[in-house]
Amino acid sequence: MGLTLYHFLALGAILFFIGLYGAISKKNAVAVLMGIEIMLNAVNITLVGFSFFNRVKPYSTYLTGQIFAIFIITVAAAEAAVALAMIISIYRKRSTVDVGEIDMMRW
Amino acid sequence: MALYYGSWLILLSPLFSFAVIIFGTRVWDLFSRPVQATPAQQAEAHAESDIHYIEKKGPHGEEEVLEDDEDPQVPHLTMGAKVSGYLGILIMALACLYSWILLLNTAGVLSIAPPLPASGVTVLSYNWLVQAGGTASYVVAFHIDTLAIAMMTVVTTVSLLVQFYSQGYMGNSAGYARFFAYLSLFAFSMLDIVFAQNFLVIFVGWELVGLSSYLLIGFWINKAAKPAEDRPSPSNAAIEAFIVNRVGDVGFIIGIMILFAQTGTFDFATLASKTDPHGVSHVFAGNLGLLTLAMILVFCGAIGKSAQVPLHIWLPSAMEGPTPVSALIHAATMVAAGVYMVARTFPLFLAAGPQAFGVVAWVGAITAIFAATIALTQYDLKRILAFSTISQLGYMFVGLGVGGAEYGPGPGMFHLFTHAFFKALLFLCAGSVLHAMHHALHRETQDMRYMGGLAKFMPVTAITFLIATLAISGFPFFSGFYSKDTIIGLTLDRGDYGLYIVTQVTAGLTAFYMLRAYILTFGGKGGAYSGLWGGPYRGAAGVAGVSWGRLEGDKGVAHEGEPEESPRTMTIPLILLAIASIVAGYWFGFFSYVSPGAQVLNFGTIMTDWKTWVGVLVSFLGLGWAYYLYCAVGWVAVGNVVQNNAVLRFLHRVTLHQYYVKEFYALLIRYGVLGLSHVEAAFDTYVVDGIVNGVAGLVRGAGRDLRHVETGRVQSYMVGFFGGVAVLAVLVFVLVTFVK
Repeated sequence: MGLTLYHFLALGAILFFIGLYGAISKKNAVAVLMGIEIMLNAVNITLVGFSFFNRVKPYSTYLTGQIFAIFIITVAAAEAAVALAMIISIYRKRSTVDVGEIDMMRW
Repeated sequence: MALYYGSWLILLSPLFSFAVIIFGTRVWDLFSRPVQATPAQQAEAHAESDIHYIEKKGPHGEEEVLEDDEDPQVPHLTMGAKVSGYLGILIMALACLYSWILLLNTAGVLSIAPPLPASGVTVLSYNWLVQAGGTASYVVAFHIDTLAIAMMTVVTTVSLLVQFYSQGYMGNSAGYARFFAYLSLFAFSMLDIVFAQNFLVIFVGWELVGLSSYLLIGFWINKAAKPAEDRPSPSNAAIEAFIVNRVGDVGFIIGIMILFAQTGTFDFATLASKTDPHGVSHVFAGNLGLLTLAMILVFCGAIGKSAQVPLHIWLPSAMEGPTPVSALIHAATMVAAGVYMVARTFPLFLAAGPQAFGVVAWVGAITAIFAATIALTQYDLKRILAFSTISQLGYMFVGLGVGGAEYGPGPGMFHLFTHAFFKALLFLCAGSVLHAMHHALHRETQDMRYMGGLAKFMPVTAITFLIATLAISGFPFFSGFYSKDTIIGLTLDRGDYGLYIVTQVTAGLTAFYMLRAYILTFGGKGGAYSGLWGGPYRGAAGVAGVSWGRLEGDKGVAHEGEPEESPRTMTIPLILLAIASIVAGYWFGFFSYVSPGAQVLNFGTIMTDWKTWVGVLVSFLGLGWAYYLYCAVGWVAVGNVVQNNAVLRFLHRVTLHQYYVKEFYALLIRYGVLGLSHVEAAFDTYVVDGIVNGVAGLVRGAGRDLRHVETGRVQSYMVGFFGGVAVLAVLVFVLVTFVK
């Protein structure tokens, strides 16, 4: 019994919830960012898994999932750059990266 | 026929003189007055906030209220004012002449034009609005027939005499020109009712009459109320007349709307043919109750306008207007409108159930006796005349109610016709008396306790007043004898003994109170009540224990001058009206004139009918009893007897206060209307405002509390987002799995 789609899906789900846990519970903004990266990559694994196992014939032209994954990697890189820039900017302004204290948009 | 088609001139000429006076000669009058400020004017400027009084310092230094709207700025009339008067009189004289020609021609005395068709002639017609599809049209149309001609003759004649008389009576009053303009407007309004071909036009005239009476009753706007004499201020009286008429008009409008909704027309002739029980298109065939209801509602309008019992209170208050106005209102223009309207819609009443005419007759009869009993004890000369008018109007409605198909509106209209002359005469005489009293006492006096013995000073007024008194009392061979006894006799012919007894008793009461008024005003050696013109007739003012008749707060009136006969402008109308008061009753063809085919009065039948002589006997009883009480016994003695007897004292007080109807209405307003308005105010404050404020509070509270969801922390948003996704996922899973 080799690898099946369910292994990929299970891995993606586990990684996603690990990332979600990190994004929700961590105080440090960099850690939150890392959680988000993990979630993105979990989704990448799922997409690639679907792409691979859902083919009709080997080496088919159904590459949509893989192309999506490449897009997400690109966007994630850009997002990480922007997010880190914001974190640095906030740190300079408020001397903290604790997301619990960054609540300027409060009521 | 051109004679008939030209009669719109009669209708529009008073409107013309109204416009010319208001926009022309009155402006001339105002601009030609002297401009220097008089002391009174300065005082007025000083006390500008108080518009109800024009005060000046009296000769003894006390504050004296200028009572009669004597205009201190206009010591004598300007040319503009005089021309206004002449113009109004001249145009009214032409209209009067024209209507007399019409009357004589249609009555067969003259034969200038071919006889008028029985259905009359439409003189002016204008399609005001036509509903799409032509289902209903609203036409402004004026129409004359014999009924209208008889009425317009009365209106123009009385208006002419009243205008002529006003030259003397209003000579020293402010707004002389305005007064004549209003009189013309009043005549126009009434002629609009007379000429009306349909309910739409009659309703317009109806409201115009209300407006003109409002303007004229409240003519002396600066005059204050006199609580000691139970007299309201003219402006309040005007408002009262207007509002009380509104109450009746509600019924009138609803009645008209029922008729219109059922038949689709306002036109009297079409309505009559559509409601005719023998006609082909009987709209109310299976539904006579609705027609009866509609006609009773229409009659409600007449109750208001003709001052019948529940709504009679405005008429005594309307006495606050100038006396010529009272004469006009009572004789021809205002209260006659209700009677005329019922006569005009007579076929509709006839087609309705017998209850419709039953209501008309009984409201009239109750009003007649109710007002007559009040008039027995009043002191105020004009108020006695006011209640006698209410009472006589009651007779007219009895006459309309019992006329039936065989007499038509004849009996009621005949009494209106004769009553117009003698009631106008009574009021103009009263005006002459007030004029003289004002001359003698330098204050406005309507109270008969100040009068007495005036016959010696003003013989013409006294004799004409006596003629009118005898006419209204049903004294044989005067006009009231024919018109009133016909109505009383008819009630017996109809077999209605209740109506007969009520009207016959009222006739006796009428004779009593009218002769009482005459004796107290003109008779005796002079009213010694306040030491006026000497003589022991009333008993001396200083007699101990004689305080029952004294006015509150009265310190006696100084003898400042002799009353004297009024100028000729005032006595000429009196004499003319006195002649009319006698001869008007001799038009025995009146019934068939106003309603072709009706039975006709016959002098021989009247003279040989026992009912006539019962009526005469009752009238003589009333006159004799009044003569006995007020000439032989004397007023003070009668008063003492009444005051010393508990039952009589009670009756006297109740009738003197007019059965407390006004007080009852005041209570009704205070506790009924105002009480209800308090309830409504509470509803508004607590329920309506509660809902509005509650919604606002809910929104505000929700916003205040829900904004705490916006923590500003990105992680809490994330929890919400993913929590929402989780919930949706579960939901989709459940739906997909279980619902299919």
